[in-house]
Amino acid sequence: MRVRAGAAVLGVLWILPALVLIGALILYPVGYAIWLSFLDKHSFFPAERWVGLGNYLKIARDVEFWDSLWKSAVYAAATTGLQLVLGVAAALVLHAPFRGRTAIRALVLFPYMIPTIVAVIVWRWLLNETYGVVDHLLLRAGLVREPIVWLGVDHMMTSLIAVSVWQFTPFVVVSVLARLQTIPLELYEAARVDGAAAWARFRHITLPQLRAVLFVVVLLRSIWMFTKFDTVWLWGEGAGAGREIRTLPIYAYMRTFTYYQAGFGAALAVIMFVMLMAATLVYFRLYWREEEVVA
Amino acid sequence: MIRRYIFVTALVLGTVDAAGAVDKQVVRLWQTETEPQTLAVLNQTAAEYEKTHPNVSIKIEGLAWGDLERKLTAALAAGAPPDAAHGQPITCVSFAAKGLLRPVDDLADSMPKNDLVDAFRNLCRWDGKTYGVGHSPASSVFVYRKDLLAQKGLKVPRTWDDLVQVADALREVKDGQVVRYGLTMTGQPLFINIGVGELLKTNGGRLFDADGRPTLTEKPVIELLEFYKKLNRVLPPGWTGHAYLDTFANLANGKAAMLYQAYGRGVGYIEKYAPKDIADPEHFAVADKVIGPSGKTPAAQLDCEPWMVFKDAQGANEAVDFLKFFFKDENYIPYLHSVPIHLLSIKKSTSRNPKYADNAMIGKWRSWIDMQEKYFKNDWIKPVLVTDWDDMRKPYLLEVMGSGILVDMVLDAVKGMPSAEAAAKAQRRVEELLASAGYLKK
Repeated sequence: MRVRAGAAVLGVLWILPALVLIGALILYPVGYAIWLSFLDKHSFFPAERWVGLGNYLKIARDVEFWDSLWKSAVYAAATTGLQLVLGVAAALVLHAPFRGRTAIRALVLFPYMIPTIVAVIVWRWLLNETYGVVDHLLLRAGLVREPIVWLGVDHMMTSLIAVSVWQFTPFVVVSVLARLQTIPLELYEAARVDGAAAWARFRHITLPQLRAVLFVVVLLRSIWMFTKFDTVWLWGEGAGAGREIRTLPIYAYMRTFTYYQAGFGAALAVIMFVMLMAATLVYFRLYWREEEVVA
Repeated sequence: MIRRYIFVTALVLGTVDAAGAVDKQVVRLWQTETEPQTLAVLNQTAAEYEKTHPNVSIKIEGLAWGDLERKLTAALAAGAPPDAAHGQPITCVSFAAKGLLRPVDDLADSMPKNDLVDAFRNLCRWDGKTYGVGHSPASSVFVYRKDLLAQKGLKVPRTWDDLVQVADALREVKDGQVVRYGLTMTGQPLFINIGVGELLKTNGGRLFDADGRPTLTEKPVIELLEFYKKLNRVLPPGWTGHAYLDTFANLANGKAAMLYQAYGRGVGYIEKYAPKDIADPEHFAVADKVIGPSGKTPAAQLDCEPWMVFKDAQGANEAVDFLKFFFKDENYIPYLHSVPIHLLSIKKSTSRNPKYADNAMIGKWRSWIDMQEKYFKNDWIKPVLVTDWDDMRKPYLLEVMGSGILVDMVLDAVKGMPSAEAAAKAQRRVEELLASAGYLKK
């Protein structure tokens, strides 16, 4: 009995550092944000006032919040969807044997490796309608009659989505490519013997085999794109048209650091957290249900 | 043995360095003049100061103008502000009202009272104390290509309507492509805020009434939004995404014929990027700001960040002492000369100093300086969002600027929302903002 108790204490001691880290780095900040969301608190003064659900009620009536939520949803859905389609397509191409494949595989990773600030500056230059290369080429090719104002109010979101897809698709490519390389070749050989065409092989072998990895990729990418701050902030930074891409994380930042409403900003962050948790649970449940059906 | 040697050496050096760091008072100053030659002058001044103050280490950091407020706020929220910093005048008042600043009457009093233009001395006063002293004043200016207007027989615009008409007439199209726009303006949020305050002033308008309630539904504001709609038709289609420097690039390389929100700093870009044979004030001339239908006088934005010293800063006194040193002519004149048409003197005596006038750029671009001084003398300049000097007693203009509500108002109108509706929406939002912060009773 004493030995068992000693082992239990030892076990707790072994996991204690991990528990302390999780508590300090995850639970405390989340808990503090939730606590803050019930307060009317200035961003840099210690004075605070308990307002209960006051911040949440204000948010429910706040037109800017709903607008930001819609923009976040559009941005996350469009970028995740496009990354998925392009990423899977690129992974399939890079899985097939051809000369120079290794070099191309390395090159595909490039956008994911460069710092966001560099990517944003370069793309802002390229897409500038006055001196940018993209509009120049489109005009010369006769594809457009007037330069497209990528950084103006009408196309700000489109250009942001394009740049984000360019930057983050390599993550999907690498994840999918790694899984493709582990699919047994016998499955394809058997399908060929049965006369399955390329599309049928993709649909009935590749896609089901990719299910698990696509599940993780969709989950992670949609969470990351919904909460994406740096690319969105830098893309709209210094432009009045930046309000066209004022997503929820940007709005939460603004409320905290330009309106100085730390409580309100924290409430926005908590809402984001709860929405993502709920979406993740629903997503997991759907996945498990489908797994059961397949099984 | 070698390892032990390295260890001991590192330990000794570390101890020595740590001891040195403890003895020296590090003074961190954040400021908005980021051009390399200005930073070089400031660092040289710091080095000179340190020679006679061996226990003080001056660290000067340059911050982009548009980022300043956000970075200061983040630093304050983190409890780690610098010892002293530039700030917009409205930032200074906001911080002073919140009790974050140390009074700097000692710095202001180190300069003779009648040597300073009042506007620069009183840029940041709260409860009878001075909380900021402007480092160098400048006025926003309206720049136009004199040669291009002359070629088309156009007169310099005087009114808002003139500006739209002249801009339209100056636009040049070749093979179906616009090769030159008549006018360029930045869509940077800070500058839209500046533009709203400045244009409203030229239209005899205001942003707040005497009780501090926003007045965005008043006629001058509606007219202003109608003007923005007209401007939107003659400006480059992507102007809302154009940064301040983009507009100077447009002007200097001939892609635009007029620039509404220019500053003396722009001369450097013209000298650098415009064709050499036209990089002069005969081609890039300045004129009065245009006047709105309900206005009587022109108005411009005063660009003069006060030096603020933070109350809880450990090096607050040393920072003030260094700033006194900075304002001495032998240090101040090289600073002003680093961007000569933009960094003008807050001291009359320095302006009169022959050493100050002895500068080729000042000689060449004198008309640009004269235009700015005309606005100083006529009291036609006000800080961002200030349409009347009494507005400087409103400690919430910083929040209004940071919220982006006025920028949204302009963009709503530009995107097609009826001006009255855009103004009413902004009015509601500003009222909510001020009420939630306790500045306004609902």
